[in-house]
Amino acid sequence: MNRRNALRKTALLAGSAVAAPSLFSLLQSCKKQSRLEWTPVFLSEDQARFVSAFVDTLLPRTDTPGALDVKTDIFLDLVFAKTYDAKAQENVVNEIKKFNEECKQRHGKVFADLNMEDRKAVFKSKEAESPKFNPKVWGTAVGEQKPVGFYRSLKSMALWGYFSSEEIGMKHLNYDPVPGEYRGCVPLSEIGNTWSL
Amino acid sequence: MANFNIDAKQNMTYDAIVIGSGISGGWAAKELCEKGLKTLVLERGRMVEHVKDYPTMNLDPWDMELRGGLTPELQKKHYKGGRSGFIGETNEHFHANDLENPYTEVKPFMWVRAHQMGGRSILWGKQCYRWSDLDFEANAKDGHGVDWPIRYRDIEPWYTYVEKFAGISGDPLGLPHLPDSHFLPPMELNCVEKHIKSRIEKDYPGRHLIIGRVAHLTVPLNGRGKCQYRNRCDRGCPYGAYFSSNAVTLPAANATGNLTIRPFSIVQSIIYDEEKGKASGVRIIDAETNEVMEYYARIIFCNASALSSTQILLNSTSNRFPNGLGNDSGELGHNLMDHTYRIGAMGVVEGFEDQYYKGRRPNGIYIPRYVNLDEKTKSDKFVRGFGFQGGGGRSGWGAGANLEDFGGDFKDSLMKPGPWEFFITGFAECLPYHENKVYLNKDVLDKWGQPTLSIDCEWKENEKALNKQIRQDAKEMLERAGLKDIVDFDNQHEPGFGIHEMGTARMGRDPKTSVLNGTNQVHACKNVFVTDGACMTSSSCVNPSLTYMALTARAANHAVSELKKLNL
Repeated sequence: MNRRNALRKTALLAGSAVAAPSLFSLLQSCKKQSRLEWTPVFLSEDQARFVSAFVDTLLPRTDTPGALDVKTDIFLDLVFAKTYDAKAQENVVNEIKKFNEECKQRHGKVFADLNMEDRKAVFKSKEAESPKFNPKVWGTAVGEQKPVGFYRSLKSMALWGYFSSEEIGMKHLNYDPVPGEYRGCVPLSEIGNTWSL
Repeated sequence: MANFNIDAKQNMTYDAIVIGSGISGGWAAKELCEKGLKTLVLERGRMVEHVKDYPTMNLDPWDMELRGGLTPELQKKHYKGGRSGFIGETNEHFHANDLENPYTEVKPFMWVRAHQMGGRSILWGKQCYRWSDLDFEANAKDGHGVDWPIRYRDIEPWYTYVEKFAGISGDPLGLPHLPDSHFLPPMELNCVEKHIKSRIEKDYPGRHLIIGRVAHLTVPLNGRGKCQYRNRCDRGCPYGAYFSSNAVTLPAANATGNLTIRPFSIVQSIIYDEEKGKASGVRIIDAETNEVMEYYARIIFCNASALSSTQILLNSTSNRFPNGLGNDSGELGHNLMDHTYRIGAMGVVEGFEDQYYKGRRPNGIYIPRYVNLDEKTKSDKFVRGFGFQGGGGRSGWGAGANLEDFGGDFKDSLMKPGPWEFFITGFAECLPYHENKVYLNKDVLDKWGQPTLSIDCEWKENEKALNKQIRQDAKEMLERAGLKDIVDFDNQHEPGFGIHEMGTARMGRDPKTSVLNGTNQVHACKNVFVTDGACMTSSSCVNPSLTYMALTARAANHAVSELKKLNL
């Protein structure tokens, strides 16, 4: 151990207390992909068709973009690929299979091949039979959370994928990255849509 | 260890060494440097420079590939702390690696750690409340634990001193048991919070609902910018608007020219000089090279965090202290406390559909303690008390998951804010029990071959009785305030969830029953000071960090005056 080594380790602090936020150049993997070229990272082609049909039934295009417009299906594939461990991935595959088998039993086809009326019938019965999420306090559920099942959990993920997309977050919800102030009572008419952040 | 020649030893010698750079370590560094001491801060983790090392501070969800999600590898890295629900893509780099730093849960205990310059001061909740004599006298009055060697009058000027520099926003209330701080302007309540405040205060004389008291600047202070209401605090604040060591105390220490920081320095033990009868320095392991080195100083401040400071003391054995430095009493490692967590109620508030708010307030409401204040409020079910935190807001698109609906209209309805919701969650005081303890575990070693901690701690009857009351009161208050769809809850969280670890090297009047004296000095080794959560003799029900700041500034002042008198 010599002194030079100790000095090398001795860092001084930057004293500046205020700095303007810097600009980031960002890599966004989703952005570069166009719909037509979409190759799933984790899902098989059939599973991907299921996820696309699911998010499209849940959040179709209206005057505002639909889930497919903002590539929610592509994002969910990425989430399965990169945040799920092997066991959770296996579970997704099994659940999609099960979902499609139920559709075949009831309507004769897998979910992605059903017409909109049949898809809605499937969703309606799933809504009725799926347990709900417990309310959350500070990021985690309160009380004992019963498993909500595949339908509600995928629905919740699709909502996340849709509303946290750049298109919706910046152009359709109310985007205000640096509010600068907090006002506790403001007429909704002055604000309009939900805050995006 | 290599033998040092005299020159080399001189180069490794400082006036003071501070172990740790979190909330209390940062204050120790600032105070000692400003009083002219050449101070070495030893931080086990990496450097984190204010602003420069806040990579996620301005990211929107869509700027991140996984929009906040964590890979399985990162989930494993945080397999213990992840239970908190607070760790995600935006802040995981500020949470310690649980795989490299194992600990053993003899009984369930979640230990959230942050190994970097600034420690948990980057991540903390920033709620700041003064203690009162209701807290400092509690042990003496009901016989649990030992008496605090100090009273409110001893710490009161130091609260003021640290508040003026840290910047605490809040509303004065004049409550004797929750003394007002030196306040910056308060943040605002929203309309539903104001409504519920008026209902609760009318229905329950003696109960108050106030805006949280927080270490955020609501006006600029000392070159730091005011809060911009982004609510991205745990990523590091580009404006320096909330209190952290990185933004506030360490730059002040650095400005004196007396500060040296050495990152990647894991303090293995404090060196005790048997001849002189005091500590002479510390032994460290370089976290990157595994090299063992020694640094020397006249005084040592131990601020590694409650459990880590105790771990270092337990690991510092000598002929004089075979069971750990300062452990003559056998109390070192004992009397571990935390606050109970996530017990309360929530519900829906009808009306106010035409009202909303602007900005993301990094703060909520607070309902100060109202039980066991005096004869009139005395409970026959438990001793001590609890307070509530919480808040109100309008639900967003996330609420759509539970709505039995789907399709285009459903999607577009989620673009508008949903109903108002309001919740309160209690924090109960925990008694100091000798059997709630930590001890060294030589069978489980960390990445650097060092013994780790075993934590053996549980809630007991008094905490359970407090929690029962919290749940009951929370539900009743919301019912009487007219809320609908009320859900009351007790998540039965194990200790550690409050992230307010206290005790294990407690202050006291008697060296036979405590580790530290009234000025935070190890009774039998007076040049070693412990001023983080380890020193706490009881736990109160309010957030403890402000008290660590005040105790640290007070102890540093005492240390320097003793040095001048040649008493150390």
